[in-house]
Parts: sequence; C-alpha cells; structure tokens
Amino acid sequence: MAATEDATADLRAEDDVERVPGETDMWFFVFFESLVFTSYFCVYLYFRTQDERAFLEAQSALTLPLGILDTIVLLTSSWTIARCVQEARAGRHRVARQLALLTVGLGLAFSALKLVEWVKLIGDGHTFTSSDFMQYFFFLTGMHAIHLLIGFVVLGVLVHQLTDPEKRRQETIETCSTYWHTVDLFWVLIFAMLYIVR
Amino acid sequence: METSGNRRLLVAWLVLVAITLIYLWIDDSADDSGVLVASTAVTVAAICLALVKFRIILREFMDVRHAPPKLRRLTDLLVIVIAVSLLGTYLVGRAVA
Repeated sequence: MAATEDATADLRAEDDVERVPGETDMWFFVFFESLVFTSYFCVYLYFRTQDERAFLEAQSALTLPLGILDTIVLLTSSWTIARCVQEARAGRHRVARQLALLTVGLGLAFSALKLVEWVKLIGDGHTFTSSDFMQYFFFLTGMHAIHLLIGFVVLGVLVHQLTDPEKRRQETIETCSTYWHTVDLFWVLIFAMLYIVR
Repeated sequence: METSGNRRLLVAWLVLVAITLIYLWIDDSADDSGVLVASTAVTVAAICLALVKFRIILREFMDVRHAPPKLRRLTDLLVIVIAVSLLGTYLVGRAVA
C-alpha cells in the first residue's frame, strides 16, 4: 500500500514541482563538457573549411546508415533511462531496474556498432594518421567512447541503487541518468559534425 | 500504467528519431551522384537540426522542463552559445578560405 501511495503522490506531484534533476554538480559537468566538445567541433569545422576537398574525400569512407543506427540506438537508451527515472519516482523500482538494464544493453549495442565501424575503417586503410578528417573522426569518437565507458560504470551504480532498497536514493538515480543523457547529447552533435556536415 | 509523462517521452523519442531520419534525405539530396560536395545549406541545416535534438533531449529526457527557471534559461543559453560558436566558426572559416 505504501508503494501505491508513493506512486500516486509522485504522479500527482510530477508536473507541479520545479526541481533540479539530480545533483547540481552533475549539471556543472554537463555545461562544462558541452563547452569542451563545442571547442573541439569549432577547431574541426574551421580546419574543414580550409581544406574542403580533402575532408569530403575522407568523409566518403563513412557509412551514413551505420551512423543513423548508432544515433537511434543511443536516443532509445536516453528514452529508456528517462522512463527508468519516472518509474523510480513512482516507486516502481523493479520496472525501473529492468529499464536501467535495457539501457545498459543499448549502450553495449552502440559500442559493438562503433567497434565494427572502427575495424572496418582501419581495415580499409583509414587510420588516425591517414588524413586530417580521420584524425578528427577517431579523436571525437574516441573521446565519446571514453565518456561511454564511464557511463557504464555510472549505470552500474544506478542498477545497484535500484536493486538495494537500503541504499536507494532518488537524487542519485537522477544524477546517474543525467550523466547517461550527456553521452547521447554529445553523440547527437558528433554525428552531425562527422557524418552530415559538408 | 500509462501516464501523460510516459506518452510525452514516447512522442519526444519519435520526434528525435524522425529528425534523425531527415538526415538521410538531406544527405541524399546534398551529394552529386554519390560524390560528396561542399554545401553551406547542408552544414547549417545539420547543425540546426542537431541543436533542436539537443534541446529536446535536455527538456524532455533530462527533465529540464520541470526544472527551476534558472536551469531552463541556462540550458537554452547553452544551446545558443553552441549554435553561435559552431555556425560562426564555419561561416568565418568559409569566408577566410
């Protein structure tokens, strides 16, 4: 009965209360890292305009449908983690845990797709030093991969929170979710920069 | 139990996927018989669409919609700063080249 009461209260309160999702420190991270990635993109865009033909030629080695699939997988993982937070807020922690595990699965799927792409590119002779474009490609996707790996640790904390009622704190759950969303936020920009920009 | 919140998240996801698929059309229309060509229109569109997605993720998935006004304004400012930086750099770069 307590869980139902919590769920009802949470649902009613959902649209009424203004609150910072998760811990404020994580939002400092979101802003800081967004600006760091923006600076990388600015450098890339500037040097791209100075040697367009070479960048276009190297860019043609990328497979757009694979990039689209990467993006949809990560967007879906953002959706599942957002649903996870909603379910946790409503007191439905078992469902929330399942959604968190689904998010991990989607993250692993993205990692596998990225690995396949890197292996194919390297096998075709496109490496970090083969062209300026590929240097930016491997640097940006590599930096993103580091954030993704940290994201798996964060998701592990999230799953542990949802599993253990003694340790469970909604603020920690939301903080972990905020971190995972930044992995998607940065990919949305990286995808546009590397696969679409002409 | 479906709530309006769940439905809203689903709609946000559908919009984000739709925008992502629009890139396929942009990419297809941008190139010359499969050969990649430079295009200011494509680049500007790509950056703008990416930032629309960026804001949707912030507002809907990251729950900034329900955040205090300060955080809402700061995230909108972040989107503007990123837009100005990226578009400005690109356009200045093209002018200099």
